[in-house]
Order: sequence, then C-alpha cells, then structure tokens
Amino acid sequence: MSLYSWVNDRIDLDSGIKFATKKQVPVFYGTVWYYLGGVSLFLFALQVVTGILLLLYYQPGATTAFESVRFIVSKVEFGWLIREVHAWSANLFILFIFLHMFTVFFAKAYRKPRELTWYSGFLLLALSLFFGFSGYLLPWNELAFFATKVGTDIAGAVPVVGDFLLRLLRAGDEVNSATLSRFYGIHVAILPAIFTVLLGIHLAFVQMQGMSVPPELENIDPSKRKTMAFFPNFALRDLFVWLIVLNVIALLAVIFPWELGHKADALAAAPAGIRPEWYFMFMFQTLKLIPAHVWFIEGELFGVLLFAVGGMIWFFVPLFDKSANEGKRSRLWKWFGIGIIVYMIILTVWGYLV
Amino acid sequence: MRLLTFFLLIGFISQIAVAEVDINRDACIQCHVEIDDDLDNPVMTNYENDIHYEKGLSCSDCHGGNPEGWDDEDAAMYDNDSFIEDMSKMDEVNMCGKCHADPTYMRQYAASVKTDQLAQYWTSQHGIKLQEGIDNVASCTSCHNVHGIFPVNDPRSTVYDLNIPETCSKCHSDADIMKDSGYPTDQFDDFKISVHGIALLENQDIGSPACNDCHGNHGASPPDVGHISDICGTCHVNNKELFQSSHLKDAFIKEGIAQCEGCHNNHAVEKTTDEYLNWENNSVCIVCHENDDKGSKAVIMADSFYEIIMNLKSGIHMADSLLNDAEQKGMEVSDYDYNLEEAHRTLIQTRTAIHSFNLESVIEVATPGMKAIEASLTGANKVLNDWIFRRKGLFVFSLIISFVALILYIKIRDMEKPD
Repeated sequence: MSLYSWVNDRIDLDSGIKFATKKQVPVFYGTVWYYLGGVSLFLFALQVVTGILLLLYYQPGATTAFESVRFIVSKVEFGWLIREVHAWSANLFILFIFLHMFTVFFAKAYRKPRELTWYSGFLLLALSLFFGFSGYLLPWNELAFFATKVGTDIAGAVPVVGDFLLRLLRAGDEVNSATLSRFYGIHVAILPAIFTVLLGIHLAFVQMQGMSVPPELENIDPSKRKTMAFFPNFALRDLFVWLIVLNVIALLAVIFPWELGHKADALAAAPAGIRPEWYFMFMFQTLKLIPAHVWFIEGELFGVLLFAVGGMIWFFVPLFDKSANEGKRSRLWKWFGIGIIVYMIILTVWGYLV
Repeated sequence: MRLLTFFLLIGFISQIAVAEVDINRDACIQCHVEIDDDLDNPVMTNYENDIHYEKGLSCSDCHGGNPEGWDDEDAAMYDNDSFIEDMSKMDEVNMCGKCHADPTYMRQYAASVKTDQLAQYWTSQHGIKLQEGIDNVASCTSCHNVHGIFPVNDPRSTVYDLNIPETCSKCHSDADIMKDSGYPTDQFDDFKISVHGIALLENQDIGSPACNDCHGNHGASPPDVGHISDICGTCHVNNKELFQSSHLKDAFIKEGIAQCEGCHNNHAVEKTTDEYLNWENNSVCIVCHENDDKGSKAVIMADSFYEIIMNLKSGIHMADSLLNDAEQKGMEVSDYDYNLEEAHRTLIQTRTAIHSFNLESVIEVATPGMKAIEASLTGANKVLNDWIFRRKGLFVFSLIISFVALILYIKIRDMEKPD
C-alpha cells in the first residue's frame, strides 16, 4: 500500500483532487493577473516560515532587540539569509497585494457577487500595511525608531480618538521599550491570527465564486469560453511563477542586503532623511506638502481626513460603481483608478527625490 | 552739519551710558562724569559694568576721600586725609590686596573666593621686581584693567581665557617694555601658531591652555628646567609620569635640557607627528643624539618605537579598509569594529608610552593593539569570504531553481501540447 493510498483511505484526497481538476480557470488576455493573488499567498507563506525562524533568536526589548538581530545576521548560520528573505519578501508581499488589488479593480472583479471578496481583500491589505509598520520597528535601529515616532504621531492626528490611538500604539506617551513589546505582540501574534482567519475567508470566497472574468467576457456563452483546469495546469503555472519570485528574492537578499544601521537612541537627534517604508511614502509626502492650515483645519488633520475619505471610497467602490454591476465599464471609475496609481507613483518618487 | 550730527550722536550715546551709572550715588561720580578723561571719568571707563560698582563699592573705597563732599572739591578730596591723589604701583597692589587678601571681607561676596592673589603676586617675577623697586612690571591693573573690571569668567574680561594671551602680550610683546628684562618678545607670535594657540584663539576652545595655565597667573614665573614636565603634566598626566620615571629625566636635568620643551618646543608647541621618531627624517632625538651611530642604543630605541607605531598604524589602516569594504558590501562587521577601536586606543596609549623611553614597556602596551588588529583582519577576511560564499551560493541556488523552473516549463508545454 502506497503512502498516498494510506492517506487517501483516511482523508479522501481523491475528492480534493477531483475538485481541483474540475475547477476551471478562464483563459484570456488577463489570465496572467490571476497569478498575482497566488504570488501574494506564496510570499505570505514565506513570511510565516522566515518569521518563525527569526522568532527562535529574536529578543524583544530596548536592550536586546538590536543586539539579537545583529546576532542573527552575524553569528547564526544562515541567519542573515532568513532575515533578508523575511525583509525582502515582506516588501514584495505588499507590492504584489497592491498589484493584485489594482488588477481586481480594473477587471471590475469587485462587482456582484464578489463584493465580500473585495472587502476582505481590502482589509487584508490594511493588515499587511500594519504588518509592515509593526515589523519595521522590531530591529530597534535608529531609522525604525524615528520613523515609528513620526508614524504614530500621524495616528495621533486622527480626530477624536487620535490621543487614544497614539497611546494605544505606543503603550504610553513616547516610543520606548513598551512600544517595542507592543509592536512585537501585534506583529507575531495578533496580526497573524486575524490575517490567517481573514485570508481563509478571502480564499473561501474565491473558491465558492470561482474566478471572475471582465464584464465584456462574461456575456460570451460559457461553453465557448476558453479555460484551463486549475489542477494541474494552473497550479503548475503558479508554481513556475513562485520559483521565479523565489529566485528574485534570493538575488535581492544577496545583492541588496538590508542594512541594520545603528541602534536606536531616544536621546540622540533624529538622523537626516527619516523616511517611512516605501508603501507609506505617498501619504508621508502628501502630509509634507499640505500647508499648516487648510481653511480652519490643521494641515496634518486635513491630510489624515483626506486619506480616511479616500480609503472609504476605495473600500466601498462596489457600492458606488453601479455600472459594473450592469456588466459595463464606467470611464469615471477607470480614470479614478488610473489617477490614484499616477498619484501614488508621483508622490512616492517625489518623496525619495527630496 | 556732519560735525553737528556726530556730536549729537555722541551726546545721545553718553546720555544712554550715563543713565546706567547712578550719578547721584556719591559726590565723586557726580563730578567725575563731567571730566573729559578716560581714567577719571567713570562713564568712559565702563564703570557701570565694573564688578566693584555692581557690588556696591565706589571711588572712595579705593581712592579714599569723602564721597559726601557734594559740590565741594576740597571737602571731597584734598582736605580729606584718606584721599590718595597719586597712586604708585606698590600702593595699587597693596590697595587691591587690602580687600582681596582678606578672607573675612571677601567671604561676604562669595563663600569660596580665593584670597591668595597678593601672596602669590609677591612670589611672581612681577612682584619680586616691584619689591626690588623696578616699577616697569605688571601690577593688578595691568592685567585686570583700571576701571571696568569684569569677573574672570566674563568674556569681556581682559583675563577671560580667550583674552589672556592678548593681555599678557601687551607687555611681553613690547620690546620697549621688555628691553631690560632679558626675556624675548616673540612668545605671543609663537603661541599663536602653536597647537595650544590654534585651539584657544582660532577654535575658541577654552579648555586649551593660555599663558597662565603654564606660568601661573598671580604668581607668574618662568618654570625652571627641572619642573617643566610638572607644568605640562597638569594636562598631559600620563606623559609626565612616564617621563619622570624614565632614565631620561635625570639626563635632561644634567644636560640642562628643558624636559618636554626639549622635544616639543615651548610656546610654539606644534602638533606631534610619528615622524618625531623617524631617524631618517630628522627625528627630534637627533637634536641631542646627533653624533650617535646606527648601532647606538638611542637609534635602536627610536627605530623600534617608530616601527611599532608604524605597524600599528598600517595594521589599523589595512583592517579599516577591509572592514569598510565588507560594510559597503552590506555585511555586518560591528564586532570587528570593536577590535579596531581597541587598536586605535592602543595606538594612542603606545604614543604616550614612548615617554617611558623603555622598549619593553612600549611593546607591552602595543601588544594588545596588535592582537586587536589581527582579530580585525581575521574577522574582515572571514566576512569577505562569507560574502563570496553568498554570491557562489546564490549562483548555485539560482541555477537549481532555474533548472527546476525549466523542467516545469517543459512539463507544462508537453502537458498542453495538442494531441
């Protein structure tokens, strides 16, 4: 008796394979975009594996965090590789989630009946950004320390609950050892737990509703639509893309390692060129450009409100874009999406240039 | 018109200044503000900012006379027995000392104020000459000003750290004043180009020594050859202790060589370099050992010192450049940076240890530095080898992954080939 038969007798692998083989993936000019979700999932898996390995040596605390990361990258066998893969895959993870989201947006895949998939995806993106923000502080180096100070200051500008949010994030009035412990807890326990549940729901929705096709293809008779089996055809293609991504991560980890920098010192002056991670740069640059006062509103508060309203519009786009539900493409929403992308790219580049 | 404007302006400025001196404080001030003479006019001598004026003292406390002699010159001065019309330097020194040498009196102004200035002054060359009847010497007012005397920590004071060299040079650079003293007049010029002078006068570093830090202030006197290291040793403590316990201390005294000054100069102390030890490049040792041949003890010692210092320097340079290279490549090198810092410290300690003029001692001090350099070099090479290993590893990994991807690609192509 083979191992497969032994397992199959107990958990019915055959029906799973049958389901995967029966599952069809639409084949058209945009099939390539379907890989983005899979790549994001693969990168998340890498995050989990490397994150767990880092946990074996990482010691949170203002007197131990930086030293333990230095120990990982200089003394632990292949510790440097684990940290580099974790850091690079985290950045690529967010990049691919953004790409995934925009392709879903332009393919109008958020339209009925997939609104819930869109909402869960948006929340996953928000959680990923929080993952990045909380993880950035953990090495407890100078840049991370001051970037967290600036980032939590911005959270403090939120109307009504700003003060509460700031103290909640910092575990006090200032960024210190208590903040590090809190970020550590959030990064390795709270966020992974919520993220895993939400990711499960998101994937369940995809399985239940199948893969969306653009409105113009939806009107074609299903029997005339070109498809491929999810297993093995699409799964092997996914694997092929994952191997390429893995290769790119290895290349980045070795050729462009992340510098550990200097240990955070709360009493030292903030070093020049304090910047948030690239995915927050467009927001950071916007806040820098907003004058001290806009009408009667404080500049920082105005910026936070602007992003809050923008985020809400983006989140509720399935409700606003009525034409998508009718199987049409709205020019307004198309240009809105393009405008957002152009805005994000220009502001990000601007932020790095100044 | 211009002249009128000028006088109006002067008058205006005077009125502002007069407003700061209480002209009704006593009869002396009330009359003397009218006198157009630098010394006699309390306003023109910046008297309103004088520490004595601020503490409530006035003209009569030093010059005698009756401060209540309002509108009566004779009652105020000439008919009053305490009035001192012409004050000699000896009178002046004693007059200042009357208060400044009285601890009970001075304690009312500051609990820890010094009162040994007068006693010290009489031990100084200035005081000794004055007692010998030579009037051409510095007295209290020569350095502290006549009126308008500021506390020593006030940057406006003539004896504030940054101003002392200029104050001393008023006399010591004046050939006429110094002509009978037998002293040179180039000290200030030398000091200005010295390492101390540049730090003090150009960099405004008040931690650097001024004239008084070496010569004393009230007890100013040129040190004798046997005590120069005591003076330099006030700051350069280790160098002093090593030199004083070395065999060269007695040799220098015997030969009349002024200790530290013998190699480092006095007022024109220049920044030391390791070339001081290089026999091939005019080592300072040659000044005394000019007739020594290559095999002499002095030459062997200087060569050995020079070699040790050069080994440390070149080792540090090599380790530093390797570690920099590794850091540029994104490698973590902080552990080896600590070794390098240790080597740097040792280099400084070794340069100090040279003043023991004992080869065994210098080797003992330098050895930990050489070990630290070795550790740095080993570490740097290990890190650079790691870097090469990573590149090779990446190449192998990429090759394997690419091969698997290729197999996968072929498999997909074969699988989807139309029958």
